Amino acid sequence: MASSTVTSEPVVAKRRRAGRRPEAGRQRPGRRQELMWAAIFLSPAIVALVVLRVVPTVGAVVQSLYKAFPGGIIPATFHGLGNYESLFADPNFVSTIVRTLVFNAIINPFQIVLALLLAVLFTQKIPAVGVWRTLVFIPITVPIVGSSIAWGAALNPEGPVNALISALGGNPQPFLTSPDQALAGIIMLASWIGIGYWMLFLISGLQAIPEELYDAAKIDRAGPIRTFFSITIPMLKRPLLFVLVADTVANFVLFVPVQLLTQGGPQNSTTLLMFDAYRTTYGYGSRNLGAAEVVILTVIMIFFVLLQFRLLREERTPR
Amino acid sequence: MTTTPALPVRTRRVKTSTVVLTAVAVIVGAGFVLPAIWILIGSFRPNAEILTTMSPLSWHLVIPSEVTFENYVHLLVDSGFARALLNSFIVCIASVAIGLAMSAMAAYALAVYQFPGRNLIFAVIVISFMVPFEAIAIPLAQQFTDWGLGNTMTGLILPGVANGLAIFNLRQYFLGIPQSYREAAMIDGASEPRILFSLYARLSGPALTNSALLIFLGQWTAFLWPLLIVSDQKLQLAPVALAGTFGEHAADYGQNFAGTIVLTLVPAVSMFVLQRFFGRLSIGSGEK
Repeated sequence: MASSTVTSEPVVAKRRRAGRRPEAGRQRPGRRQELMWAAIFLSPAIVALVVLRVVPTVGAVVQSLYKAFPGGIIPATFHGLGNYESLFADPNFVSTIVRTLVFNAIINPFQIVLALLLAVLFTQKIPAVGVWRTLVFIPITVPIVGSSIAWGAALNPEGPVNALISALGGNPQPFLTSPDQALAGIIMLASWIGIGYWMLFLISGLQAIPEELYDAAKIDRAGPIRTFFSITIPMLKRPLLFVLVADTVANFVLFVPVQLLTQGGPQNSTTLLMFDAYRTTYGYGSRNLGAAEVVILTVIMIFFVLLQFRLLREERTPR
Repeated sequence: MTTTPALPVRTRRVKTSTVVLTAVAVIVGAGFVLPAIWILIGSFRPNAEILTTMSPLSWHLVIPSEVTFENYVHLLVDSGFARALLNSFIVCIASVAIGLAMSAMAAYALAVYQFPGRNLIFAVIVISFMVPFEAIAIPLAQQFTDWGLGNTMTGLILPGVANGLAIFNLRQYFLGIPQSYREAAMIDGASEPRILFSLYARLSGPALTNSALLIFLGQWTAFLWPLLIVSDQKLQLAPVALAGTFGEHAADYGQNFAGTIVLTLVPAVSMFVLQRFFGRLSIGSGEK
């Protein structure tokens, strides 16, 4: 107990404990009332938790264990892990899983490295730095439906991006219409929003690094690259990890651009797990297979969210 | 101002690096903002001109020959977008109101009272609401439809009220409010709900603003959920309606861009309003 008082806000902590002490004397009646109020105040959130999270999750798990017959006249029968078996026996589904993992292995480091470089750039002493920083934030404010439509237009084979490539002497590219480039197009439009967003977190992390460390590095004649790897990166470890996990969580459920621009195509090249679960359930009408996909997606999500929660908790303890 | 021979050289080197960094910052900033400018300008120019100026590359890409509001008129008067905007507003405001009350109550219970399992309940609530909603949207939509909540406002509002980060933020903020305030209010005979809604809520303007924004933006940009739960066009929300205009008339980019600008500006304005509203409520915290 004594060791835990060395927190970032020792004064508040001490005050809180001091404030609680007189209560201990007249504890009995007050305590029961407190418990009652705690239950009353918590109940809406707990009801919401059960209805909005537990029920659908359990529902998905149960459904994924049944097999329905077309037409819906014969009741669904228990199928065990049969749906999972047939999913993993389907080469299309296996490539969807692989594609989703590869997509995440590319887009997350890509966005975070660029967000980090830009965060460092926009915390340098350069003229009107706030203006340039704001320009990078602006895409965050555009809702993803709008940015998907705009990028769909921009990446049109006869669109402005190809016009720019031609003007620079390159060959026009098919972008979203090519199985080789469509996913890269999705990554590009998601990053137009994502880089600025994650940069926000990294900038506040950078601003929390004490200036003295950089002064010390200067005295030691460390160059900018050495300073970056020996001071910036280690001091930024926590925000970086947090951003990495949060970005991963967000990208695993990326849905709008796929649904709006490519419908998973061409040739399934942009079929990610989230879209596949949607298409299996509503496009192909296989509720049970779709539920199994949702369960797989949710398991992956829970893993990353637990990781994220750990990082959030650590964020509160002093460095 | 003692000058050593080394000094002028060094200042010049610093200056070149500043010039290079500034140039990079300007180019990067311009690169990010250019598509947004293209959308903004496209929304104010004749639709046909968006297509004709796309290629080859020229200044006409972002310099319109005339400024017109016809895209906005088409969007808001002729299509069902105005109605979808109103629906989105209703859903957002109701979600913020219900969500804030629910989050504040939960956060208060988890910040003020000591009871066994408190940290566990907190962790479970925050973790489960941090699993992205999209992951379980499909089975939840099936449940809601079974319960008769398909094509209803209630069905649209409910999933948006629960936000783990809102509860997390509010609890952190409430933990910083000295217990002595609460004890003083209790001695004055204030009930627990009164302490929460008139004391804690009033001291927590910034945290309430943040939480309101989280809930508002979550609902304002929601796409998958309204797509799954609503089939009745009269009830549809703005993002899905915007996507609908994208599908219907091939390449009516003028209208699409106008819709994008409207969807972008509304949260910006709402943020400003919310900040004014909650900013006024906040009377500052701190124990003397």
